[in-house]
Parts: sequence; structure tokens; C-alpha cells
Amino acid sequence: MMRRPAALIALCAGFVLSTQALAAELPQRWVSAGGALSEWVTALGGESRLVGVDTTSQHPASLKALPSVGYQRQLSAEGILSLRPDVLVGTEEMGPPPVLAQIRKAGVRVELFSSKAELDAVDQNLKHLGQLLGAEPQATALAAGYRQQLDALQAQVKHAQAGQKAPGVLLLVGHAGAKPLIAGQGTAGDWLLRQAGAHNLAEHQGYKNFSNEALAALDPDVVVFSDRALADEQALQALLKENPALAASRAVREQRLVSLDPTLLVGGLGPRLPATLRSLAATFYPAAKGSFAQ
Amino acid sequence: MRQRVQPRTLIICLSLLCLLAVWLSLALGPVSLPLFDTLRAGLRLLGLPIAGDGLQQAEMILGQIRLPRTLLGLAVGAVLALSGVAMQGLFRNPLADPGLVGVAAGAAMGAAVAIVGGSWFGGMPEVLAPYLLSLCAFIGGLGVTALVYRLGRRDGQTNVATMLLAGVAMTALGGAAVGLFSYLADDATLRTLTFWNLGSLNGASYERLWPLLMVATGVALWLPRRARALNALLLGESEARHLGIEVERLKRELVFCTALGVGAAVAAAGLIGFIGLVVPHLVRLLAGPDHRVVLPASLLAGGVLMLFADLAARLLLAPAELPIGIVTAFIGAPFFLFLLIRGRS
Repeated sequence: MMRRPAALIALCAGFVLSTQALAAELPQRWVSAGGALSEWVTALGGESRLVGVDTTSQHPASLKALPSVGYQRQLSAEGILSLRPDVLVGTEEMGPPPVLAQIRKAGVRVELFSSKAELDAVDQNLKHLGQLLGAEPQATALAAGYRQQLDALQAQVKHAQAGQKAPGVLLLVGHAGAKPLIAGQGTAGDWLLRQAGAHNLAEHQGYKNFSNEALAALDPDVVVFSDRALADEQALQALLKENPALAASRAVREQRLVSLDPTLLVGGLGPRLPATLRSLAATFYPAAKGSFAQ
Repeated sequence: MRQRVQPRTLIICLSLLCLLAVWLSLALGPVSLPLFDTLRAGLRLLGLPIAGDGLQQAEMILGQIRLPRTLLGLAVGAVLALSGVAMQGLFRNPLADPGLVGVAAGAAMGAAVAIVGGSWFGGMPEVLAPYLLSLCAFIGGLGVTALVYRLGRRDGQTNVATMLLAGVAMTALGGAAVGLFSYLADDATLRTLTFWNLGSLNGASYERLWPLLMVATGVALWLPRRARALNALLLGESEARHLGIEVERLKRELVFCTALGVGAAVAAAGLIGFIGLVVPHLVRLLAGPDHRVVLPASLLAGGVLMLFADLAARLLLAPAELPIGIVTAFIGAPFFLFLLIRGRS
């Protein structure tokens, strides 16, 4: 029979050990395959746990120093296992499925998240990430803040629309200006434009090539351009040089052209979105510019 | 004339190389396993009673990832190379490759339909969904080849030249169809399609392996039996007929073996170019045109080249991975040029 103090010590030790065991259950080594997800993990303070990311994880820039596991749809089972991860997080775009099955079989948790452009998806993703990181309060706060920012933006847009009709906008996605694709209905780009209060002039589905003439005929009020090769001013010059038809449009005459970071268009809604949307809205509604600054 | 390698020496060398390639393919990967663990896990997989403590990871990686991948590589390489021999023999042209009868274009078309149009089919039975891509590629390859063969036939005779031109036309048509589907695709499916066109042994699993292994075994057993007939065909169709070869039957068999073999290989691993064109060439440069040597040697060399290419594909950018089609071309093309230049001097 154990004496009482000894039993007490044993009990305390038991508690300490069990809490340690709980902490150990949280995955410590993470591989993230999805740009927005990696950003959220970083925002929740989990960057130090990342041991590998995919090629769509470009933000923050420090992630580029991590080993790259390739493109999210083209993962390699052994490559990922060589990083000895506890968990692989990615969106439903992650694959191919046989590789995911192999990774699961090797005892690595594979956690799937939504890449849908919806606020509810962001809420759920953050909640799930919070649980996995042991940072639930931060995740809840982050999700609430995010929703509040977007809601506020909606209200401001509505307010601005009372004084000005929604501008007709085109989003051009290009490579050094040449042959840009126009973001049509159902794309992430279209969602972005609508959130910022624009009327997307493109009525087709998906990203499509356009003839110069059709571009001129649409005569956008504002052109948003997203270039994968060049940045801001250079991208704009290249775009105008390659597409002379644009020069005659109202957007160019009135100098209403704005650049958009192309990495925002893939992999679901990320933490950098509200700021981008605010600056887009400020371009769309110059009269109400002040109200979008935050 | 340049010294040729003795057939026996060539086959022995290639067999040894093949064993080496299999061993390396099992022993090397992004996860570095101790050599001794690999050995013990390998023996355990063979069913030998060896204590398995601490071997779970090695066993899983060896059994579930590297072994199916190695078998897939061997089978795909062997089948593509054999089909290359069959096509070069059929067209009596060293520039022929398995794609010439439209099987690659048909498979690519099937794959494009599956990747881009997969969602349009909607009510697909759950069981079938993971295999849709492979199935469509296989059916596409077989269908287009059958059509090309049919177009080349007139009055019970197969005109090889007509078949060749029909193959070129169908390849162009297939390319247009793939282009149309790429235009309809969204960004993500487009990327899947691009990667599929470059081929990969990644994610090999036994369920996908068995059909290909069966086809590969069939082709590997059947084609060498027709080596004499292929040799006779080298002299010309009428000459072969005078030698007592049923030329029409031979053509049918060659086209069927190619369509079946390449169709199954492409369905399992995507489009992997180059092996079918270059491996037979390489073997002929080394050992001369006798099909009794060229067929088995191409089978081995195809497997070897494929495994070495795959090693590069999985190790060069680890933990990411290169599509293997890029590697086969990067390894094979310069080597081929080297042989050509050496052969000329």
C-alpha cells in the first residue's frame, strides 16, 4: 500500500504527464499544400511548425525558403514522407488521390480544407486549423475580424453605390502583357470584383482569351490587371503596348487601371484579401475613397 | 563496319543492368532508408520470417510505394519499347514510333475527355470514378487505332502507307480535340491535363498495376514469337509472303499488340514519349537488325531506361517530383545523338 504523500506525487505526475501527452498529440511537423492555407497557418503563429510547402505557397516570402513539395495536384508520396511530417494540410484540390492514400497509409494525418470563395469556408478552415495548432482562441478572433472587415466593406460599397453607379470592370490576367485572359463568371477573380462592388463586364465562364476588338467594344470603366511576370508600372506598360485596343477605352483615358497580385486568385480566400478588396473598392468609387481607407 | 555486340553479351549485360536498376529503384528515394533495413524489409515482403520490429516504415515505403512504382516502370518501359519495335518493323521505317498509328493521340483525347469532362458525366458510379481517366485513355487509344487500321484496309489488304497517313491525320485530329478541351478547361484541370501529357509513375498502386502487368506479359510473350516473321517483313511485303508469312495476319497482330500495350501503359502512367522511338534504335545500333535479338533486348532496355529516368524524376527535385516524360527525353535524346554521331564516324 502506497503512503499518502507518495500517492499524491504520483497523481500529480500523472496529471503533468497526461497534459504533456495532450500537447504531444498536436501535430508538430506540418506540410502545407495550398497558398491561402499556408498564409493562415502563418497568421496563426504556426510558421515554425511548417517543414515543407507546395509551389502555390508564396506568401509570406519566408515560406519560399522551405523545401518545396511541388505543385499541390502533383504531390509525391515519398517526397512528403521524407520530410517526416505529422500532418499534411491542403484543399480539396490536393492530389493525386492515390498519393494521398499512400501518405495516409504511412500514418501521416491528411487534413482537407475548403478552397471555396465563401466566408463560411474561411470560418470552418480557421476553426479546423485552430484545433490542429492548439490556437483556437486566436483562430476564432481571426475569423471574426475577417468577417467583420468584409461586412464593413460591403456596407461601405453599398453606401458608395448610392452616389455612383457600379463601374464596369474587366480583370485581365496576363504574362508580360501578352494575350491576357479575361476573368469571367464563376472565377475567383469575378468574386473579388463583385466583393469590391464592381460590375464584371465579362459574361463568359472561366478565364478566356479575348480578341482585341471585343476588348475595345466592352469599353471598361476600370481595368484591373494581374500579371505573373512583371510588377505594377512595367506590367501596365507591357499591357498597353501589347493591346493597343485598350488605349481607346474609358479606363485608360481616365487613368483608372489598377494592378492585382496574381497569387490572390488561386487557392481560396487568404488573410491578405480584405486589404486588397479595400484598395480595389477605392479605385472603383473614387468619390467615396476616404471611407475605404482603414 | 562498326563492331557489333554479341547478342548473348548484350542480353546478359542488359539483364544485369536491369537487376541493378530494380535494386536502385527499390533502395533509393527521397526517404533515406538504411540499406540493411531495406534488405530486411524486402525479405519480409517476400514472406521470409524475419523479425519486423522497427521496420514498419521501411516496409510501408518499400511495399506500398517503391515496389509498385518499380513494377510499373518496368512494365511501361518494356511495353513502350516493344511497341516501338513492332511499329518500326511494320512500317519498315526507323522513324516510326508507337504514336504513329494514333494510339497516343487517341489516349490523350480520352484523357482530356475524362479530365475536363469528368464533371459533366455527373452520375458516375463511385467504384468507377477513380479509374475514369485510365479507362477513357485506354478506350481512346484502342478506338483511334482501330479506326486507323480500318482506314488503311482496302479489299482485304492493309496498305501500310495509307495507314501511316491516316495515323498522321488522326493524330492531328486528336491534337485539335485536346486543344478544344484545353480551351474549355478551367485553370486547375488545365494543369492536370498538362501534367498528364508529361507522364508520371507517381502514385502507382497495385490495383492500377495488375491490368498493365497482364497486358505487358501478354505482349512480351507474344511479340518475340513473331521475330522471324518480322525479319522476313524487313525484306518487303511480297518477299515475306513468298517466304510463307501470313503478312496480313502479322500486321493485324502488330497493330493490336501496340494498341493494347501502349493503351495500357498510357492509361497507367500518362504519355511518356521517346522510349518507344529510341530504345529499339539503340538496340539495333548495338546489335544489328535481327528481331530475335532486338525484341528481348528492347524489352530489357526499355525497362532499364524507364527505371533510371524515374530515379532521376524522384530524386532531382526531392521532395517534389519531375514529370518523367521530361526526364526520358533529357536522358535519351542526347544519348541517342551521341550514338548517331559515333555510328557515322
